[in-house]
Amino acid sequence: MDTHPFASLAHFRILLIPVGSILQTAFETYAEEIRSFDSLRLGEIPTNTKDGRAARFLPNPLSKGNLLLSFPTHPPPQSQSMLSLVRPSQFPLAVIGVASCSATDSLKPLHNQFEASLGDIFPEGSTYPLVRNCFAFEDTEGTVNLDPGDNLPGLVIVPKIMNRKLHIGTLLGVLCSQVLIELGELVQALESPIGNEYLNATLMPFLPPLSELPSSLSSLSRVDSLTALSSPASQPELSRSSFTLGAAPTLKRNASTTVPSKQSSLGIQAQKKRLSTIGSSSSHARLYKMLGDFFLLSGRTEDAMIWYTEAVQLFKSTHDPLWYACTLEGMATIAIIDAWIAGQGLNNSMSSVREPWTDVGDRLQQAINLYQKTPAPDGEQMHSLLAFLYCECVLRQTSLLFSVWSSKGWGPLSFTSMLHPGPKPLLPPTLTSGGDSWLISERLSTITGITRNSISASLAQLHGPWLLHLGQRERISVLEAMASFYACLGYQRKEAYVLREVLGCILDLLVCGREEDGVSQPSTVPQSAGLGIHNVHPIGGTAWGTVGVRLSESSEGNASILGLLKHVCKVLSINLEAVGLVPDGREKVVNERPSLDEYDEDIIEELREPCGWPELQVGVVREAVAVAEALPDFPTVAQFALSSLKTLQNVLTPGDQYHLYSTASRALVTARRRGDSRAVEYWSGRPIVSISVAPLPMIRVPAEKPRSIQHKVNDLKPLVQGLTDPFLYNPRKAAASKGKSLVVQNEVLEFVVTLQNPYIFDLELQELSLSTSGVAFESQPLRLVIPANTLHQVVLSGKALEPGTLTIRGCFVQAPGGTIREYILPLYTSQEEERIARKRRAINSENGRSKYSGLERYSWKRTTHRISSKAENSSGPSFQFLECKAVPEQPLLRIRRSSVTHGALMLYDGEKSTIRLTLENVSAIPIDFLHFAFEDSTIEPAQKALADGNLSVFETYETEYSLIHKPVFSWDQDDVKKIGPSNNLTLTLGCFGKVGCTNGTIHVSYSFTADPNIKDSDVFYIRQVSYPLMVTVYHMLECSNMDILQFPSYAQRPMQRNQDLKTGRLSSLRFEEDAGWCLFSVEVRNTYGLPFDVTLVRTQDGESGASSVTTIPPGSVSRLVIPIKKILLTEDILSKPIPTLSDRQFVVTHSSLSSSEQKAQRELFWYREELFNIPKTGGTRSGELSFRSQRMTQPMVDVFRLEVAHVTLSLDPNSKPGHALTGPRPHFKVNEFVELKATVVNLMPSPLVFTLDFEINPVEYVIFEGVLTDLPVGRLENGESKEVTTSLCFLTSGQFEISAQVRGFGGTEADTRIARNHISVVLKDST
Amino acid sequence: MSHHLFLLSPSDTPLYSLTHHSTKPVPSVTSPLASNLPTWSTSAFAGTLTALSGASSATQHTSGGAVRVGGGQDRHVIQMIANAGLDVIEDVMRRENTMYLKSVDKFNEWTVSAFITPGNMKFVLLHEAKNDEGIRQFFMEVWEVYVKTMLNPFQTAHTAIRSSVFDNRVRASARKYL
Repeated sequence: MDTHPFASLAHFRILLIPVGSILQTAFETYAEEIRSFDSLRLGEIPTNTKDGRAARFLPNPLSKGNLLLSFPTHPPPQSQSMLSLVRPSQFPLAVIGVASCSATDSLKPLHNQFEASLGDIFPEGSTYPLVRNCFAFEDTEGTVNLDPGDNLPGLVIVPKIMNRKLHIGTLLGVLCSQVLIELGELVQALESPIGNEYLNATLMPFLPPLSELPSSLSSLSRVDSLTALSSPASQPELSRSSFTLGAAPTLKRNASTTVPSKQSSLGIQAQKKRLSTIGSSSSHARLYKMLGDFFLLSGRTEDAMIWYTEAVQLFKSTHDPLWYACTLEGMATIAIIDAWIAGQGLNNSMSSVREPWTDVGDRLQQAINLYQKTPAPDGEQMHSLLAFLYCECVLRQTSLLFSVWSSKGWGPLSFTSMLHPGPKPLLPPTLTSGGDSWLISERLSTITGITRNSISASLAQLHGPWLLHLGQRERISVLEAMASFYACLGYQRKEAYVLREVLGCILDLLVCGREEDGVSQPSTVPQSAGLGIHNVHPIGGTAWGTVGVRLSESSEGNASILGLLKHVCKVLSINLEAVGLVPDGREKVVNERPSLDEYDEDIIEELREPCGWPELQVGVVREAVAVAEALPDFPTVAQFALSSLKTLQNVLTPGDQYHLYSTASRALVTARRRGDSRAVEYWSGRPIVSISVAPLPMIRVPAEKPRSIQHKVNDLKPLVQGLTDPFLYNPRKAAASKGKSLVVQNEVLEFVVTLQNPYIFDLELQELSLSTSGVAFESQPLRLVIPANTLHQVVLSGKALEPGTLTIRGCFVQAPGGTIREYILPLYTSQEEERIARKRRAINSENGRSKYSGLERYSWKRTTHRISSKAENSSGPSFQFLECKAVPEQPLLRIRRSSVTHGALMLYDGEKSTIRLTLENVSAIPIDFLHFAFEDSTIEPAQKALADGNLSVFETYETEYSLIHKPVFSWDQDDVKKIGPSNNLTLTLGCFGKVGCTNGTIHVSYSFTADPNIKDSDVFYIRQVSYPLMVTVYHMLECSNMDILQFPSYAQRPMQRNQDLKTGRLSSLRFEEDAGWCLFSVEVRNTYGLPFDVTLVRTQDGESGASSVTTIPPGSVSRLVIPIKKILLTEDILSKPIPTLSDRQFVVTHSSLSSSEQKAQRELFWYREELFNIPKTGGTRSGELSFRSQRMTQPMVDVFRLEVAHVTLSLDPNSKPGHALTGPRPHFKVNEFVELKATVVNLMPSPLVFTLDFEINPVEYVIFEGVLTDLPVGRLENGESKEVTTSLCFLTSGQFEISAQVRGFGGTEADTRIARNHISVVLKDST
Repeated sequence: MSHHLFLLSPSDTPLYSLTHHSTKPVPSVTSPLASNLPTWSTSAFAGTLTALSGASSATQHTSGGAVRVGGGQDRHVIQMIANAGLDVIEDVMRRENTMYLKSVDKFNEWTVSAFITPGNMKFVLLHEAKNDEGIRQFFMEVWEVYVKTMLNPFQTAHTAIRSSVFDNRVRASARKYL
């Protein structure tokens, strides 16, 4: 790399080139040894010349100056050859070939090679180098004859001795002395009139080789100079008085002042005269400038200053801005060198008003202006060189300011940095020390009075359209220097801008190089950009090396260009390495402890506020990708493109997104094809939105049950209660439902994964698989494409291979050509949600604030803080993942057949029927547990009604009764059925027609409870197979108007009635005893289209069965009657409250009934219960009709209930026994006394006091004894009877009705209950 | 003569940008060095790179109304210059207390003037001619309009300004002063 040191004008250049087969490391070592001489004291240069010629550039003995040496390893490009006189310091004055030799006989070919390579480097006839030497370094001590002989001029052998460095110094001194002598020769040629003509010919003159100068002139000048310039130093003594020389005070120190001045002054005047006569048309200004240049190079600053001053004097009058500017530059350089030589002496001048460097700076500024005013030359090459000189001058000025600034002022440090810049010229120790860079630079500015922006302003003059004139090499070099200055000033954005231009230049070269090579197709790149490509030397510098790299397809040097790209992007706040580049072939690694930061990365990323200049970012990124593609470095192309997609997704236009993605995919494919082992990390943000277990098909869902239910017969509670929950929100239930889902070992398990693609293009995923921990899990990865800008759902399936807990941590994703990355996905528990919300809030609240601005704001600088602060509390929250419990393998049952066609069941109301189900075990595991559960459409409304609690007690009972005792489906679970593997089992289920039922389901739960895997556990797993049925229940018979009646007393024709009853359908009404029976009647209506036989069956304990049958045609109503025996329910039954069939708890009895009413209600209820235990009806298709819908009324209860007492009445005429009332009809006579006898039997279980009332109608014609009402009967025990007798006398004939009423006395409840009987007596006249 | 105004958020994101072409003539001080060359921001420097980086980017450049080849200004270069000027602006603004930093930076034909609001918003103006007082008044007016815009509770220091009122007023001020 070219550096642009301030004092380059004073640098004595010696080119080092390798000769022969020398290892690079060896060359570096030797070159380093030579380079260690960065200056040579003038006193060390031998002044005695071989031929005794007095060379005027040779220093006087004991002179104190220094020769500033620099040792480039690259020759100047040929395009600069026109500068040979304008800027001689640009060219190497000498060449040292560095060779290593092991034997003397190899010296000859070495020398030849040296000559040959010199011929390659320097074109025929070039002025420089003046001296060519070859140093052959001895490999091992004493192997080489140190005297190579005279036949190899310029070959010096450097022996391997202890103080070799000293030896090299001596050799260098000799070399320099030779050069200085040669310089004298050169100047002599220039001083000749024809030489002066050459010098003044063009803007950038070129001196032909000395040998080609006309010999006459040459000899003439030789003679002249020999006479005139015999003294080694010449001083225009006379002209001194007219100048104020800046260096005058220091002149005394220089040894050359001791030279007799008169002679020299005379000499120069003589010379002037002669020159003016020869080249009359040309001024001598240029010549004086050349002399100044050469004196500067040879370290004699006083002489140089004198000649420069002369030249300036002349330039002021003539118009030659270019040369004038060069002279001014030389003078500026001298000022610094003088100051350096003077050492610290100048520190005193700090107190002066004007800073000491302002003179130098002004001089350089003047030079800059002069360069700018130089009229445009004709040739493009001249133009280029002019621009180059201008740029160098600007760099020189900037370098001056920068050195002073960075070295804390005008002092030795700054001089050293200007004269002897090291390999890193722009990084002085003042800037490299740590701490706040702004503070450091501000301190420097305060100390020196030079602000950074003034340096920057000086540097900014460099940049202009003229850069286009520069050759590629110079342009890169100049821009590089500019970028370095900006970087050291801390102006990163400017640096980035210039670096972009450097990259542009490099890319121009790349592309042009490719075209020259014929590798690529011709493109639209302008051909003019390919200038100078011919000059590519195989061992070029970095910039040139890049071109070579492209040609040989080696990737050397690519890294630096990519580094530049990354740096530029970083300044513009793009992290091109957001997507890492890692060696491929990494296997899935399940990080046991998922990192919180990684998980939160996306949230942070999502909320990151925009930073930087979007348009610039997009442009730079596109350039970066293009550069990487041109190199070519395909994995990096992908890395850059994907990183920008990741970080700039918000600002990229669809077109850019698509371009970057397609570039990345293409690059990855190419990289893979070329066998590149690197792969990009996964990049597209978090692709997974959610993972959930797809619900298993119902027949496969296992359920966990405690062992205790295995043998439990029946539990009514759930049936009645249903699944209702008394609480609207039950947190426990919610928690329970979120628990682990059960899956079965070795059965396919499906996960629904929701993926997102926020990009404008279809995102391809090479692999998507589940990341699980816990039990072994086998699954196939999926390859898929997520459509653009959507959420996409996919199903991943797999198998748990063993029972246990399966944890689904997240997913592994892999983009094509990338590495696998795991994305964890914790459950969104409330804790987790809270954490994320807090995080968002924290970021959001921080977002609006502008604590950092500009470059300091860029996020990656702060992430380090963030991570370090997170490190402490990252152990806090632990993730919860989706978990499944894998249970051992389960049998699988299916319903193979059923007797129900089309799944539809048709029943009449109340009909009882059966269905047959055939179950098949389709698994290899036997089933030893079967359980049926049923569900039908009547259950739920009933449960709901019960749960609502708005029903009365009575209705509640009825509903519950219907639920429990009248199920639509029933199964008599008599024995444990076993179904072997692939065996069938047929079962019969009962069903019952219940009005309102529309559908039902049969659930068969089954399990292999004897599974050895779960033998010890207290739970087992069941599966269920369900058989849904459509149920249609026809409502065909309606019962209504139920009634219970007393038997009418047809005392006069009891026999006849009995006879009638014996025949016909009334035979069922036959009864043995009159008392204690009642008639039950109900109307049955046939609302269906078919006739039905209805049988009313009486089944009463202790009584013979009886039935009444009738056929009811469609549409008609028929009343069925049957006698039933009255009953009496005991007190304790009646006092029971109406039960509930379940153990529902009634917290509040919300009946506001009085106790008597309640009692009546209970009485009604219990009698009804008793009643409904008695009668049954039957139909043709053997069903049952329920009377449950019938209401029972109080009169009916009164009838149905057995009376308190039994009363029998009889009339005995004249107290003669044997005349029972029931016997053949007795004849009573009018006006005779008869005895009325009433027998009262207590039917109540408890003793009771009765009273008896008689009633005789018409009472006017009867005479009776005493009173007829409230006759005391007395206390009667249960079953005890008592007769009450009274006498009557009928006064007339006719029919009399005598009735008796017995009622309890004293008991409250018995009041209403009256036992009656009555007889009728017919009295006829005795006739 | 054209002016380029950028309103930059504290994180260097442009919230608003305006290109104003005034009728005043461009002061032509061209050096003989650059005699036969176009000005920097119109030249196709690094054309290879631009061409390689893809068509979309090139069209983006011309979206500013300028034609790339025919002597128009490359919007991307203008933006780069404005962005690079921030270095000097940040340097100077820490040293000086004034809000208006006149001609803090020069780059090629462009002079960069800046105005720093107390909220660390930077108004950056690229101009070619010297017009200190006019630019100062222009900045003051833009600032006023900006403050009014910021009164909108939905407007944060990082949201782009899309208000047409703002745009019109800034354009009017530009016509008035620039």
